[in-house]
Amino acid sequence: MRGLLLLLALAIGTSAFIAPAWGQRADQPLPAPSLRAPSDTALPPSVPDGGTKPELIVDLSSPRVSITSAFQGESLLLFGMFDPPGEIVVVVQGPPARETVLRKERFLGLWLNTGRMRFDDVPAYYFIAASAPLQRLLARGGGEILSLEDRLSTIRPVRQRTPAQMAEFRQGLVEVKRREDLYPANFGQVTVQAGRLFRADLPFPSRLPEGVYDVRTYLLRDGKIVAAVSRPLPVGKVGFSAELAGWAVAEGPLYGVGAIAMALALGWLGGAVMRRL
Amino acid sequence: MEIYLPIAEQSMNVFLLFALGGAAGLLAGMFGVGGGFLATPLLIFVGIPPAVAVASQANQVIANSVSSLQVQWRRGNVDLRMGLVLLLGGMIGSSAGVTVFTWLKAIGQIDFVIAVMYVILLSSIGLLMAFESLRTLWKRRRNPTGPRGKLHTHYLVHRLPWKMRFYKSKLYISAFLPIGLGFAIGILSAILGVGGGFVLVPAMIYILGMPTTVVIGTSNFQILFVAANVTFLQAVTNGTVDVVLALLLILGGVVGAPIGSRIAARLPGVVLRALMAVLVLAVAAELLFELLRTPLSPYSLGPREVLR
Repeated sequence: MRGLLLLLALAIGTSAFIAPAWGQRADQPLPAPSLRAPSDTALPPSVPDGGTKPELIVDLSSPRVSITSAFQGESLLLFGMFDPPGEIVVVVQGPPARETVLRKERFLGLWLNTGRMRFDDVPAYYFIAASAPLQRLLARGGGEILSLEDRLSTIRPVRQRTPAQMAEFRQGLVEVKRREDLYPANFGQVTVQAGRLFRADLPFPSRLPEGVYDVRTYLLRDGKIVAAVSRPLPVGKVGFSAELAGWAVAEGPLYGVGAIAMALALGWLGGAVMRRL
Repeated sequence: MEIYLPIAEQSMNVFLLFALGGAAGLLAGMFGVGGGFLATPLLIFVGIPPAVAVASQANQVIANSVSSLQVQWRRGNVDLRMGLVLLLGGMIGSSAGVTVFTWLKAIGQIDFVIAVMYVILLSSIGLLMAFESLRTLWKRRRNPTGPRGKLHTHYLVHRLPWKMRFYKSKLYISAFLPIGLGFAIGILSAILGVGGGFVLVPAMIYILGMPTTVVIGTSNFQILFVAANVTFLQAVTNGTVDVVLALLLILGGVVGAPIGSRIAARLPGVVLRALMAVLVLAVAAELLFELLRTPLSPYSLGPREVLR
């Protein structure tokens, strides 16, 4: 009995010793998201190619969104400068994925998921901000700038359905994403100061899917895009969270055994300690 | 204080989770059952995805049963032979259960099945317990001492073949009974994330006819291994065990359990069972209400598939 307790204490001591190693590895680049993104640690403010005199300069308050153990959502500041006159529009898109929309219907008095439709190329996150009312800016075309409705009209169902059904489920998709603040309901405000400096807050909720997000800033004159700057924004777990999630995916059996060992040790210890109190 | 749960992929209040674990531990201490039947629905209710809630709760059950097994083992209240036979069924049942769970998750019906199974299970157990405690109270009022009953009654099930002797339980019954019982509990454990003590304990008393002294210890023995099996299989096949979540629940449980057993020591058994019945029925009613009422939004999202 005493021997066993001693062993346990030893095991916990060792894990406490190993723990700092997790912390040190926290600063390594993100595994999957960094594949497509250039090394994001020292990314200079993005400057469009070609023109000798940049018309639009953009930077973010942080090169990435780090999901740590204390993450509860985050607000990033996007800021920059442009050559007046003009209006600024910012579009942030999460990585596209296939989403399954489920719909509950009443069945024998109980609400149960009976309807489902899968869509391809659904952005995980979609946020748009502008320095002037968006409808007015986009009234004259707006080129590749799409409002959420327009962006979602491009998603395709995996299996073809009637247009009415598609519209219903697309509406459902927006409803759920709104609820999770992944498609913020209101257009964000881009604030312009001194006629050429601008800033906007990009709100990211706590339930944020990982991946490389695309932050695109446009300069519009007379409803036409005259300059555009695109910046990749990697979103990923770092530190202990990343370590754990990585294990859970890559080393399922090891993770399972670890979880069991933790529960056994804590249960045993807790039982022994609390009985003595 | 919020903490980010890496597998559930959302942040949640630390104290809320700790309190949930504590409540489960309190029940464990008071009634000798795991408390998972209360913790899992509550976790789902506060917004943890059901698949993660169930798998992480199974992880918590391990800790819970190992601390109570410690006590029971020392008192010699574990019928090892019976425990091993139960476990044989439990391992098969929980492995089958995880497979069913994975399939239900894939077709998008896991939330519904979890809720319906909880309603059926909790309401039947709750009603049985309520009737039983009412009857005891009634009997005691009329006849305080009560006649001594038979050790156990014999039903049709006792005629099954492949009989085994269980010395500690003073039983000579077919091994199919405990194996079948273990199998059923294993399935429950895998799909609902409960240890299953609240089903197993009455079943061992009323169906197998085991003496009450060895029931708690033996059920803890079987639950420990079945929960470990579920945790392992869920981690391997679904990757839904959130150890951060489990850790908080366990810590809460460690604090709650001794408080519960202290309360239990001061209350008579009948009152305890009546309280438990009320609690179980309340959880069942809440879950049923959730199934019947028109949801705020009929839409939800299934798992996201990133195409590479």
